Amino acid sequence: MGNKKSFYWLAAMMLIMTLFMAACSGSDDEANATDDEKAEEKGKAKEGGTLVYALDAAPEGLFHWNWYGIVTDAEVLGLFDDNLITFDEELKPQPNIASWETEDNKVFTFKFKEGVKWHNGDELTVHDWVFSLETIAHPDYDGPRYSNVQTIEGAEAYRKGEADSISGIEVINDYEIKITFDKARVNNLLNLWTYPMNRTAFEGIEVADMGGSDPVRRTPIGTGPFKVSKIVPGESVELVANENYWQGKPKLDKIIVKVVDATAVTGALQNGEIDIVSVHPTIGADVEAMDNVELMTAPGLSYYYVGFKLGVFDNDKKQVVEKKEKYANKQLRQAMMHAINREEWIKAFFGGYGDVVNRPVPSAHWIAADNDKLNTYPYDPEKAKSLLDEAGYVDTNGDGFREDPNGDEFVVNFSHYATGNPTFESRAKALTQYWEEVGLKTTLEMIEVNQYYDMIEKDNENMEVFFGGWSYGADPDPSALWKSDQLWNYPRWVNQESDKLLDDALDVEVVGTDEAKRKELYVKWQQLVNEELPMLFITELQEIYGVNKRVGGLTMDVSGMNSPHEWYVTE
Amino acid sequence: MLKYTIRRILGMIPMLLLISIVVFSLALSMPGDPFGGEIDPNNTDPEYIEKMREEAGLNDPVHVQYARWIANFVQGDFGESTRYKMPVSELIAERMPNTIFLGVTSLIITYILAFAMGMYAGRKPYTAGDNFIGGLNYLGLAIPSYIAGVFAIYFFSFKLGWFPFSGSIDIRLTEGTLEWYLSRLHHVFLPAVVLGALGTASYTQFLRNDIIESSRKDYVRTARAKGTPESKIYNKHILRNSIIPLITFLGFDIVTLISGAIITEAIFTYPGIGQLFLDSINSRDFPVIMTLTMMFSFLVLFGNMVADLLYGIVDPRIRVD
Repeated sequence: MGNKKSFYWLAAMMLIMTLFMAACSGSDDEANATDDEKAEEKGKAKEGGTLVYALDAAPEGLFHWNWYGIVTDAEVLGLFDDNLITFDEELKPQPNIASWETEDNKVFTFKFKEGVKWHNGDELTVHDWVFSLETIAHPDYDGPRYSNVQTIEGAEAYRKGEADSISGIEVINDYEIKITFDKARVNNLLNLWTYPMNRTAFEGIEVADMGGSDPVRRTPIGTGPFKVSKIVPGESVELVANENYWQGKPKLDKIIVKVVDATAVTGALQNGEIDIVSVHPTIGADVEAMDNVELMTAPGLSYYYVGFKLGVFDNDKKQVVEKKEKYANKQLRQAMMHAINREEWIKAFFGGYGDVVNRPVPSAHWIAADNDKLNTYPYDPEKAKSLLDEAGYVDTNGDGFREDPNGDEFVVNFSHYATGNPTFESRAKALTQYWEEVGLKTTLEMIEVNQYYDMIEKDNENMEVFFGGWSYGADPDPSALWKSDQLWNYPRWVNQESDKLLDDALDVEVVGTDEAKRKELYVKWQQLVNEELPMLFITELQEIYGVNKRVGGLTMDVSGMNSPHEWYVTE
Repeated sequence: MLKYTIRRILGMIPMLLLISIVVFSLALSMPGDPFGGEIDPNNTDPEYIEKMREEAGLNDPVHVQYARWIANFVQGDFGESTRYKMPVSELIAERMPNTIFLGVTSLIITYILAFAMGMYAGRKPYTAGDNFIGGLNYLGLAIPSYIAGVFAIYFFSFKLGWFPFSGSIDIRLTEGTLEWYLSRLHHVFLPAVVLGALGTASYTQFLRNDIIESSRKDYVRTARAKGTPESKIYNKHILRNSIIPLITFLGFDIVTLISGAIITEAIFTYPGIGQLFLDSINSRDFPVIMTLTMMFSFLVLFGNMVADLLYGIVDPRIRVD
């Protein structure tokens, strides 16, 4: 009897298991069915089809250029909303929907293409742009774009409520608009906010509530090649082709944007479940080895550096109020640069998907100075040692490490941010070992990333030598990160010549509209920074994407991917 | 019992107040704030960051911030997420269905497996079957869910192709259709199993041990002597007694239902409360962190109370007033 009972139990368990199996296999059939359907769609090739675009972090869901804050949101935005102007492979502005004319870099006349339609059928006119600019200049606006509008004449008055409109904006007709800036600048156009806002969609919504409103979060519209048809917050977005796209009908029927955890990226690529995904350099080699995936690279716009704290900044006075002497010796900094084997380091920690950089400007940018005009600081421990000897950093007490010129113990206190990424500590450790090899005693501290940047910004006394990264935009002007009165000049480097060069390069009186002249000034500035080394430039990373071989028509350059209406899928 | 319930609920108030003070000061003493961290210089500028800090009141002293927050909180205003720029209550409501769905599914899986295995093992202790179940359970208990999750994705999604590896729904389907519901089940199953495996182990072993213990008790011997069928003894007399200790777990199950599974949700990119909580901590989204922690704390207290009340119902010997 007992046996019978146990059989009963086993049978019950079996039954449950079978139920699970049935459930699994049931949905399995379904999955196969949709796969077959997909395969049929693929058979037609080049017209139609669905492309799966993966993101490795969840979007915040702020799907309007005026409010978005993170890269993943921008990736989605790029699929369905167009910028009025665009950028070429040297990051110079080019006409897109709007073309412009200016004589003095103060007054610009923009001309819109006629017949460009929003996804809701409205025609795009200059009024949509005015609406966008006025929204941003509105006192209740809570996004980060005001700095791109404040240079327009009268924007400040509008923001303070002293005027009903921005005086620098003059609508000529539906397709022409004149914008006057408060003064002539070389980079007025680049700084200007060039994304319109659909007026019907935002009708009746207070500016303060716009960021969380439906036209931003749930039913965003744009003028781009695809229309958002559905959003599942935090995991996926479905976009369908915009038949009336002004540059022509898209070849794809649909793009599915899907969030994939970083741990699943390689598996999903290998299985062909995702077609395009941005790939971290550390898994680049794995992706390159896949038969069905092509690794596409484009020059990146960010660079990594090791900075030195050379002073203390007072944010109220907007100036460096105190100098720090520990790393003030230029030869010391240069020696530390020569001590690092940057090629080896990039190979080890970024899979080689990066290049050695000698200036704070990415190579792809039109103002970048050629390496033959700069010191390239090749890996040379002997040179590093002799530079240190020359500067007076010698080992006086025989412990194997150098003392400072006064004969006191000298320890390089190096900090690196920690996020839970296991490669960070080893890559930081590698840098300390390079310095120890030339006789500089080095300690390493890994600091939680939020605290880390807080300490850097506030010039915490424990922050001496720090690892960091910056990214560069289309605007060549690096003033916000380098001028001595800027909070984000983290090394607190004060140099009159640098400030003057940066100012001159923006000054219409000095450079006018002559790009060559402007570049010359920036090259001079890069030479200065490269010689002084307030930070050691380590590497500029490439943008790498894993792209399934069934995807065609996709090109990438430093300004990003080409317009998605040209993409197609084969097979 | 009503009196007891009211007393317990009133007792929660000072406790929640204390928790809120501790959590608020801990949250604010985390280094950094929502506007700092890794900055993209092309996307923002120092003036904007300073303006946002001022508007969010982050420059005020801690006690001022706390007073402002608690005053709004008790009035039901949980604030606005600094990251998502939408009211916290809406944000949580958006994620809640996913989390509850995942939690309920994993609980059902846990219950089915635990009862089947626990009752079998309890009836046949120290046999090969019992040892096998025991081994399986300890394995389940020993493997952390982030390992189990990654392996489950590798085998069941990539190698076998049985389950989707991310998300909660296939976006191509129309909401409300049968296919849509099936797709939701299909998506939730794998994370639910990974999540449930952990709970299953403790439930099973608990049930097994209690059944073994009960089966040696006098009343069981009496029942046997009177000729009660073995199945009736186990399914009626022993099981009912052995379920009582499991009710303690139920209180905590309520919390897991809502709090979601931080790691499992992140690995399966399943947008629920757990993932939201993790993101909000990483991005220092204080209003979200505070609302969620207060919600979790309340649920723990509430779950404990429910467990205590249930004790009184299932076991008449325990009096709750």
